[in-house]
Amino acid sequence: MTLAVFQKGFNYVQDGRGNRLVYHLRGCNLCCPWCSNPEGMEFSAAPGTPVSEIVDEALSCRPMFFDGGGVTFTGGECTCQFDALKEALTLLKQAGISTAIETNGTAARLPELFGLTDELIVDCKHYDPGIHLHTLGASNETVLANIAAAAAEHPDLLIRIPLIGGFNASEEDMERFAELFLRLGADRARIELLPYHEYGKDKWAKCGKKYTVHDAFISPEQREKNEDILRRHGLTVVRT
Amino acid sequence: MLYPWTAEHATAMAKSRYQEEKALPRLDGWFLAREIVCDHASEFAGLPPEQRAAEELYAILTELPLSISEFSIFAGSQSDAFARSYALINPSFRVETFSGYCDPTAVYNDIEPNDEFTPERIDRVRRFTKDSDYIRALTEVYAACENDTAEVAYFIEQVTGHIVPDFRPAMKLGLNAVIEKLDTRAAEVNEEQRINLRAMKRTLEGALLLAKRYAELAEEQIKTADETRAAQLKLMSQTLRKVPAQPAETLYEAMQCYLLMWEVMCLEQAPNPFAFSVGNADRIFEPYRAAENLSREDAAALFKHFLVFFNVGDRSWAISQNLIVGGKDVKGNDLTNETSYALMDAYLDMNLPQPILSAKLHKGTPDALYEAMGRFFFSPGVLTPSLFNDDAVFKLLSARGVTEEDLPDYGIAGCQEPLIMGKDNGNTTNSWLNLPKILELTLNGGKSLITGRQIGSVVTAEGTELLADIRNSFYKNLEVYIDKMCSAANAATRAVACLPVPFLSVFMGGAESGYDMRDTVHQGSPYNGSGCLIHGLSVMADSFVAIDKLLKERPGDADKLLPALRADFKGYEELHDFLRSAPKFGNNIPAVDNEAAEIARRVSEMVSAHTNDLGNPFRADWSTPTTHLTYGYWVGATPDGRHAREQLNYGVDPLYGDADQGMGFRILSCMRLPFASMGGGCASHLGINPAFFTAPTKEGKGLDFARRVVRPLFFNEQNKAFPPFYLYVNVTTPEILRKVLADPQKYAPSGVYIMRIHGTFVNFLDLSPEVQEDIIKRLDPKSTTIQ
Repeated sequence: MTLAVFQKGFNYVQDGRGNRLVYHLRGCNLCCPWCSNPEGMEFSAAPGTPVSEIVDEALSCRPMFFDGGGVTFTGGECTCQFDALKEALTLLKQAGISTAIETNGTAARLPELFGLTDELIVDCKHYDPGIHLHTLGASNETVLANIAAAAAEHPDLLIRIPLIGGFNASEEDMERFAELFLRLGADRARIELLPYHEYGKDKWAKCGKKYTVHDAFISPEQREKNEDILRRHGLTVVRT
Repeated sequence: MLYPWTAEHATAMAKSRYQEEKALPRLDGWFLAREIVCDHASEFAGLPPEQRAAEELYAILTELPLSISEFSIFAGSQSDAFARSYALINPSFRVETFSGYCDPTAVYNDIEPNDEFTPERIDRVRRFTKDSDYIRALTEVYAACENDTAEVAYFIEQVTGHIVPDFRPAMKLGLNAVIEKLDTRAAEVNEEQRINLRAMKRTLEGALLLAKRYAELAEEQIKTADETRAAQLKLMSQTLRKVPAQPAETLYEAMQCYLLMWEVMCLEQAPNPFAFSVGNADRIFEPYRAAENLSREDAAALFKHFLVFFNVGDRSWAISQNLIVGGKDVKGNDLTNETSYALMDAYLDMNLPQPILSAKLHKGTPDALYEAMGRFFFSPGVLTPSLFNDDAVFKLLSARGVTEEDLPDYGIAGCQEPLIMGKDNGNTTNSWLNLPKILELTLNGGKSLITGRQIGSVVTAEGTELLADIRNSFYKNLEVYIDKMCSAANAATRAVACLPVPFLSVFMGGAESGYDMRDTVHQGSPYNGSGCLIHGLSVMADSFVAIDKLLKERPGDADKLLPALRADFKGYEELHDFLRSAPKFGNNIPAVDNEAAEIARRVSEMVSAHTNDLGNPFRADWSTPTTHLTYGYWVGATPDGRHAREQLNYGVDPLYGDADQGMGFRILSCMRLPFASMGGGCASHLGINPAFFTAPTKEGKGLDFARRVVRPLFFNEQNKAFPPFYLYVNVTTPEILRKVLADPQKYAPSGVYIMRIHGTFVNFLDLSPEVQEDIIKRLDPKSTTIQ
């Protein structure tokens, strides 16, 4: 089995705890207009890397997994290569490596990975199924089901909301998110608001695609206000 | 004690003193010193060399004109020992014309004739200098190896400076007591040693004379000084009447003593004794600060004057003077103290190009030191300390035969070479080895790809047969070149032994041994060796692996490799792309990382199997103090796809641009290298984007830096191998530096923007364009991405 990787590198506490080796897996089933890795959206016909090679590489990186670090798979959308991902997580867990995935939560089989991930990072981009479907190309029904399941079963769940001005970042939006998370039983999960940025903007043109987001930045004050709203509902807000 | 200045006032004076020094139009003192020696030549002609050297120094100390600036609180200067010579900070430096410092009389070209220093006057001293055993011996050495050194298969040099003297006895006991010890020792030894010890004594008497002359000058200046200045001059004169003759008791006295000793040491080796280094300054001075319970602020004010002393002329021409804070003792106790922080305060406020700051780190280094370093790393244009891993260096030096009690006393002589203070004549820059040039000669039948000149190869195989056996062929040639290099290096060391240094020898073990530290027959210092700086590690590893890939994947194209190298890949672009696509060191790819490790291990063994005249091994030092540029200029295209005349990789780092997977992978590659075999030192640099550190304060960023860079690299418990032990960083980006160059008024209004280059730091604005470009290139941001 192979994994198609379009980028890899280390980062510190941004995609899981400690210093982590992050694999960006190719292909995504959504089309978020603000995506910072548009080059990873398409599924590639190119041959992937054998899972065993990726696991060997990760093992050779042990000295860099300091402060509780390990391996994180993200994307693209990592669950689009579900079986290979599952195998890699299984082997890494067996080797005692801390594992994490960052996912958009749309994979129906996601609960199969709960026991294989030390940390589960799930995006929740919108509370409304219609808007989710219209803007991103898929409904959020599975996402919400997965969040509910993870909230019940996974010991370390982080829910991330990309805060996009004009899409999901108003105070009213936050009230709706808060109600949703409480309804899903996610009151023990950590929640993080990620302000809109344009780090990936230039890549869209390089990929031959048009970047359509405008005026979506969120002020630090608005971010704090939104965090306060979630907190007022008894939710745990973090910044990584 | 109560000083006749406030910390604020002393600081203002130190800054004025630096500006005054920076405005100096000329540096003529070194010439005057040499002229004094020339004038006394016939008088000292028949004396034994050690004694003659002592008398020459005594004459200099008697006759050299002295001055005390109105902004000085200490007497003394080293500006009379240096010429405006050092290449890197000379705007006329060009990679293509730089030929090393092999002609000691070239310095006479650096003095511009005028009415006072006429061409005739300069020429007289030049001719006198040329007509010496030293120059004759040296000329012979360089002539004999010119075939090999012209395009730098290797290089050799006579080493001056590059020592960490131990002046603690002068401060603690006073020179009167040291002189008594010399007298006692003289009664116990043979006639040769007795002559040497008498010569050493004579130089100490010269130091006492210098103190007296400065005291008299201060007293003279009191007559016309205002009340405030008179009080300062009075303290100066009283102090000079006490030290260095008697023990120092206060921090001020200790510093005054130290600076006078330093001046004499530099004059003894004038001109241009580069890289004399202070060593563990915080430990040297803390007892005196503590004895008078001087506050951190007041101590810092004194240190500001101390630091200014090390800056010579308009561009701080005395370079690579290394000063260290932090570290541990043999039991692992941290030795950081109040003086460490006072010194760092002084450094930060002054931000001078010299002396260079280093920090010794260990597992138990307190967070406070990392926080203090954060103030340096995260202030644009401010100097940054280079970092040494005490835990590893202790092991390295133990393996080199250093006794346990001496381990904490290692200092850094110049850039990155660990030497024991007062005990180790490491002869550090004695020889220089260019591995990729020797690979070029191996591949091309001994002929240079740059000039076509026949230089030499003992390998007869050609074509695919040669490529298939490239490692053995390379090492066969390398052995021959190392033999020749060490032989020539030893001859250069014998040449420099024609110039004994009795004063410095007192503080390098000579007071006990009775022999000069430069003696090549009797060992004057407890530890001794000769350095070999080895160039081109990752270019070599990448080249071997690229050849393997070519033979494995495209054996039919193997015969095109040599023509492609000869053509610098012109017309062979597709093959070039193929070679570039081979794995490169620095990306955590086992095949090429292990190749680099094997080369480092094997070459270190080959080098250290050779000895100097005293029977001590050459020390493998994997550092390239900007010589990766100058040596790269003489190397043709290499099989890794590097173009002709391009720079080589720096130290043990990947070639810039070749490691593009970020910091984590680069550190993992680095960890595979055999640091235990790099007994002479090694060098590594990271250019780090400050945006990676997001803590709100500089101190907080310093802790982040420790957590994310220093501890993983130096103190990684998962790393079972011998850990890396040296690192310097520049926390900036290419974009920032280009802005600084484009608009220095805006980004460096003071005219000083400090950057690190190799082991030293420099005013970025003073550098030649080629060296500025090297700094920008080697920031190599893709190799250090951490998010």
